[in-house]
Amino acid sequence: MTEVAYDVDDDTVAVVEDTDLPRRLKDQVYATLEERGDATVDDADELAKAVEARYLDTRVDPLDPVGTVSAQSIGEPGTQLTMNTFHYAGVAEIDVTQGLPRLIELVDARKTPDTPMMTIYLEDEYATEREKAHEVVWKIEATKILALGDVSTNVADMRVQISLNEDTLQERMITPEEVAEIIQDNLGVKAIQQGTQIEFGPEEPSYRDLLQLVEELREITFKGIEDISRVVIRREELDDGSEEFILYTEGSAFGDALEIEGVDASRSTCNNIHEIHRNLGIEAAREAIIEETNNTLAEQGLDDVNVRHLMLVADMMTNRGEIESIGRHGISGSKDSVLARAAFEVTVNHLLNAAIHGEVDELDGVTENVIVGKPIKLGTGDVDLRMGSTTSGSGRAD
Amino acid sequence: MVDVSQHELVPEHTVLEEDVLEEVLSEYDIDRTDLPKIKRNDSALPDEAAVGDVVKIVRNSRTTDQAVVYRLVVE
Repeated sequence: MTEVAYDVDDDTVAVVEDTDLPRRLKDQVYATLEERGDATVDDADELAKAVEARYLDTRVDPLDPVGTVSAQSIGEPGTQLTMNTFHYAGVAEIDVTQGLPRLIELVDARKTPDTPMMTIYLEDEYATEREKAHEVVWKIEATKILALGDVSTNVADMRVQISLNEDTLQERMITPEEVAEIIQDNLGVKAIQQGTQIEFGPEEPSYRDLLQLVEELREITFKGIEDISRVVIRREELDDGSEEFILYTEGSAFGDALEIEGVDASRSTCNNIHEIHRNLGIEAAREAIIEETNNTLAEQGLDDVNVRHLMLVADMMTNRGEIESIGRHGISGSKDSVLARAAFEVTVNHLLNAAIHGEVDELDGVTENVIVGKPIKLGTGDVDLRMGSTTSGSGRAD
Repeated sequence: MVDVSQHELVPEHTVLEEDVLEEVLSEYDIDRTDLPKIKRNDSALPDEAAVGDVVKIVRNSRTTDQAVVYRLVVE
């Protein structure tokens, strides 16, 4: 007997479980029955049967052109998306590309998004204590020299002088010795460190070299991950009422971030589908594409686009084990049929190349057959009907 | 090294036994090359999977309880 979390009797459960419905719908049936309270087993049976009939009825028929339906179902609401790129997304004052530019970026499978970001969840005490959470922040956020102290150039002696701020050093857990060493390694000059003072200069007195050194000094990442320019901590309430700290980063380096102690590597994500693919595999990338496209639409109030359409897009994009874009350089460009490719974009190039290489078109797909004027293999076009030859009695029209 | 399989975006991957695979292929009347692909160096792939194997992936589906899909391991 299946256990259900609803207050309904065993016979009702038996009746509902007997149907061909997915769990989600069965649960909704139970919820409805529970609400009614006075429903008999016969009522339950009738309800379950009706839901099942409706469910089977609304499933996609074989040979339905689901791709075309998806294209239209995403395309129409797409006309209502904002074309305005920069807007603060709801969380944590971090600039995130939204609307149409983001959607295009996703289906084009761009190598890096316009505004890369990560959402980092923390483990155990890191998630509950602000101090601990900050520790993780300093390991992630790139620390440049200007955050650690003041830099001045002494033109008379041809020296660069850094006066480090002791409190900042302590907070970010880095010692003056480490700072001096990093400078030596990166700039290739001898750095003299005394307390919180660091001094160095070019080997040969040269004004240009001196300025060059200062330029380079500003670029060095002393702590954290280079690509991450800013981290915002937010305290967020969980469903069960408790609170936890979540980090939002500007810039992303997903692989590096997952390795950091305190980072919850089971929930943290980023908005770069390629980074997800690299670190978590193709299935996670598929999941991320659905999630990102769905959220992009939902943020614009278009959450009534059925998720199945987005799932189909994601399935196509990840079908070959790597992320392919929708379009000339991806899926449409890798079709087998010459005519289908030529019909999409850059017609002449495709036809010319096909002629040079002596390509053969099998005329299997839809586009090719439309071009040559044959019935397409979709819907009723793929079904052969034969009239029955033996009828008995009066001539019925079927 | 991070355990990728623990991430909530990563569904369960298991290598399919050859005889079970035959059943699946005959049920759908397809060749194994018709299946979607997964690269051998994919992070979520079990270590024992080799090129030519088929992995079974059990997704927590948005539209039904669980969705089972298969991917062919390729180079």
